[in-house]
Formats: sequence, C-alpha cells, structure tokens
Amino acid sequence: MGKTITEKILSRVTGNDVSAGDIIYPEPELLTVHDWYVVNFDKALQELGVEQLYDPDILVISTDHEPVAVSPQAAERQKQVREIVKKYGITHFYDTGRGGHGHVFPVEMGFVKPGMFVEAYDVHVTNFGAVGALAIPVLIEVTEVLACGSVWLRTPDTVRVNLTGALSPGTSIRDVAQKLICDLGAARVDYSVVEFGGPALASIDIAGRHTLCNTPIDVGVKSALIEPDQSTLDYLAGRVDGLIELIASDPDAVFREVIDYDLDVMEPQIAVPPTPDCVVGVSEVAGRPVHHAFIGSCAAANLSDLQAAAEILRGHKIHPDVRFLITPGTQEIMAAAEDEGLLRLFAEAGAMITQPGCGPCAGGRIGGMANGETSINTGTRNDYGRLGAPEAEIYLGSAATVMASAVTGKITDPRDFLN
Amino acid sequence: MNWIYKGKCWKFGDNLGIDGDVMPLRFALERELDPEVLKPYLMAGVDPDFPNKVSPGDIIVAGKRFGQGNPHIQGFLGILGHGLGLVAETIPRGSFRNAINAGLPFLTGCEGVSGDVETGDDLEINFETGEFANLTRDITRQFQPLDPQLQAIIEAGGWRANLEKRIAKLRSGDAATA
Repeated sequence: MGKTITEKILSRVTGNDVSAGDIIYPEPELLTVHDWYVVNFDKALQELGVEQLYDPDILVISTDHEPVAVSPQAAERQKQVREIVKKYGITHFYDTGRGGHGHVFPVEMGFVKPGMFVEAYDVHVTNFGAVGALAIPVLIEVTEVLACGSVWLRTPDTVRVNLTGALSPGTSIRDVAQKLICDLGAARVDYSVVEFGGPALASIDIAGRHTLCNTPIDVGVKSALIEPDQSTLDYLAGRVDGLIELIASDPDAVFREVIDYDLDVMEPQIAVPPTPDCVVGVSEVAGRPVHHAFIGSCAAANLSDLQAAAEILRGHKIHPDVRFLITPGTQEIMAAAEDEGLLRLFAEAGAMITQPGCGPCAGGRIGGMANGETSINTGTRNDYGRLGAPEAEIYLGSAATVMASAVTGKITDPRDFLN
Repeated sequence: MNWIYKGKCWKFGDNLGIDGDVMPLRFALERELDPEVLKPYLMAGVDPDFPNKVSPGDIIVAGKRFGQGNPHIQGFLGILGHGLGLVAETIPRGSFRNAINAGLPFLTGCEGVSGDVETGDDLEINFETGEFANLTRDITRQFQPLDPQLQAIIEAGGWRANLEKRIAKLRSGDAATA
C-alpha cells in the first residue's frame, strides 16, 4: 500500500513501516523552543533531575516573543535564558538581533529540509512545511523530547489539497489561506496533516507557502506541508548543505480526503472575531474604524508582505487615528527591506518599525491594544485578549488589506488603491 | 495494575465539556493537578452529588465527544481520584491525550455503547483487552483496546511517572524508548 509524505517521513525516522493511526516514538531531527518557554523547560528538567539534553545539537532556540525587553522582568528572563543555553551547551541560540522569528529564520538559514521531521514547543512551527518538512507542535511535552529524544505520536492521516486556478487581482495567498480554513472547517481536518500540491502550487513562492502552512493549525490540524518541487530546490540552493531530495506521496497513498481548491477567492478575505476561521469577504466589514494595525507574525512577515504593503502605502500616510507597526520576520528580511528603500517609506509614512520576531501577535506585549479599540492586522489569531486587552476587537487580513486600512483609518478593500 | 473494573454504570450523554461539565474551569486556571483536591468536584456541572454516589471500580459510560472543549487534564484527574473507569463513544484528541497523560484506564471508539447501558447496571470491563460486559442485561461487546504503548503510560501512572521511568532507563544505559 502506498504512503503519504507524512507516513514516509515517520517511517524513515522510526525505521519502521508506519501507517496512519500507529502509535510511535519518532525522534525529531530538529527541535525548536522560543524565549517564553526556556525557563519553564529548565525548571521541569531540574525537577526531573535531568542535567543534560538527549541531543542539544538538534535544538534551535529563538528570542522572538519578547526580543526587546520592556520590563525588568523581561530583562531578567532574557538573562536566565542565556544562562540556561550555556548550561546545556545549546549551540543554535538565536538571541535578539540575531535570527528573528523562530518559525521563519530556520527555513531561511537552511536548518529545514524537505522530508525532515521537526518538533517544537510552539504551534505555528507548521510553517516549516513550506519546504516539505513535517513539523509537529508538542507543547509542554517538549520536556520529554528534550530529556528522552521523543514523545508518543499517533500517526496522523492526510487531507490532500490540490491547488488550482490563479489569484484574482488584488488578492494574495493570505486571503486564500484564511478562506481555506473557513471552508475546510475543523471537523473535516481534525488531527490530519494538510498536504498541499496541485497545478497551481508552482505559482506560489516560499513566502506564500509559509502562509498556507501557517493557518490550518488554528482549525486543529496536526500539521501542514507542501509537496516540495523545483521552486523548493531553487530556494534551498545555497542555503542547505548537501544533497536535497524531494518527497511526494505515492499515487496509491490513502488520504482521508482529496480536495481541489481554487486560488481565486474573488475578493480579499477578513477573519472577524473571535476566531481565525470566521472569515468573510472584505465588503462585509469595510468601513469599520480601526485604531491599531500591524503587519508581521509568522503568518505574514516576509519581504513579499512588506512589498505588498509598500505598493499600497506609496504616496500616502498612516491615518492620524491609527498607530501602525511593522515587524519584519527576520534580520535578513529587515536588511532586504532596507535595500529596497521600504524601511524609509514606512518610517516617513508614520509607521513604527519593530525588532524582527513575533511583533504584537505574541500577546500584545509589544504595541498592544486598549479595551474598546479595534485592530486589523496580519497576526495568526484574533481571540479576545490576543493583543492584551480582553475587550478589543481584532480583524485579520492580508498585508495589502491591513496597509490600506491603516491609511484610511477604516477596514478597506486594498483594490481601491490599486485601480 | 488491575485493568479489570467491576462496578456500577454511570451513564452520561453526548458532548460533556471537560471545563464546566466534568470539572469547574477554575481548577484548570489554577493548574491544580492533585486528584484528591479535584475529586469532590467531578461532574459538578451536570450532577453535583456525583462524587458522593460513586465507588471505586464504577464506570462512567459517555456518549460522543466526551471531554470536548479546550483540552485541560483536571477532569480526567478527578475521575482517576475516584478510581473510576471510562468508556466513551468518542473522545476528542486533545482530551484523549490528557486521559492517557492522567494515567486513566479508558476505552474510546465504543460506538453504540450508550444504547447498551443504563445508570445502575452492573458492568465488567477489561481495559487491557477491550472486553465489555453488561452483567445486568447480559450484553457483551469487544471494543478496541488502547495501543499497548499507551497502556504502558497508563500502567506507569501517567505522563509524569512514565517520563521519570524513561529517564531512569536512559540513565541506566538502556536507550530503548518507553
């Protein structure tokens, strides 16, 4: 019987013939933990009497949730993280100012390869599926992986999504990724891996693939990945050492479901409160005043997001009633934005440009909101309280939609700027 | 450990929420993990007198989506505190993982089991083999037991105890998992 990409990856790392439903203890080849959980795992390991990690060399630690310490407590935590990193001999430590967002820079720096098995503390590690890796969040059970090298996993089945068609003008992959999780719904993809392929995949760059692999986790998938292709090889050339092998599901692999999905979603899509899968066309909410806006987070922190925003912003200023933040995903993206003159454009228009990382999306610790305010942003989630205040309303959209709304001071269809 | 539970059936319907129905949410927010603290509040949302009525070895028989909602472990620790077993038609995956990690003997995927029992029936369940018997109504069923690797975690006493066991094994030079 044929195998899905997921079954092939898990068969390889366990050395067994693995099929969906099997309980296994696969050892990840890469493990990531962010700055907000390092002190916690150290405490847990101390309580268990564990003094050395099973494999410190697979671990990447990133200071992305609170890269700029804005309180004595945060500075203290950063100090503790640095001490813990030294104590366990962790070499892949990307402190503030070094890497950027831990779901973005490891792909950029060539840590992630097609067919690789990755685990992480944080849920949006599924971004690594952009280059064909299987990345699964394990939350607090990361302690077991750090101490023993693995934790039990029920092998997920796969929902195959064949992308077809083309984007309609003024829309982006973020619009597709948001509408897709709304259309799929939680029940249909619960605990499955969403595997993207199909004739339209070739038209989507690695940044867009990050976004496609980012949103499904919020409707309860186990992970999401792209069937790697020539674009993957082109992107990874010069980033990854050694031979890169592509991986694909067998023609007779068993899928839970195979779905064709058209990239033409007609109009820009907005996720309305209180969850990211409550998605409507922008025309339904256009005109609603906003006080706060940002572009950033692991769902939209790539150079192409900044470019899309710049295309809208050129010749305009941020609306006087709006505070607008922009968080490039990584140091590399920030530098590239500087090369293209984007940082000057944003600065002159009245934007706050923050240190690469999660930006406001990490709980609103940086540039949060007050009760009664409304935000539109490219973050991952719009639960009440996500940006600090429990009674603030959060709308999610593409970089272009967010930028257009920040200029007009109300939720705005970006196509109004492009015509 | 003893995998065979013989006791009274306590039947519940579909969609019991892990927060609110099975255990008050405040214990999840307080991160309370002591079964002795949690057991007086078991099923507080649907039957506040439940903790006074049950005896060790009794079995909760639930319908579909038992423990739905934001996956918190406290409800399962409350069941464990009373020494009860659990048989459910379905358990959502977050709660499935928590039931394993709590070290609770349970069966899930037991389609139609709600139709086989009423509260007060005498049941005998072998959680290791999946054998189910309603002694009152003379009904027997063979359900799918949990994977032996998951039974091993339950046998060890849940996630934390199993992890301590794995760490001890690693230290003694045996690199085999679980």
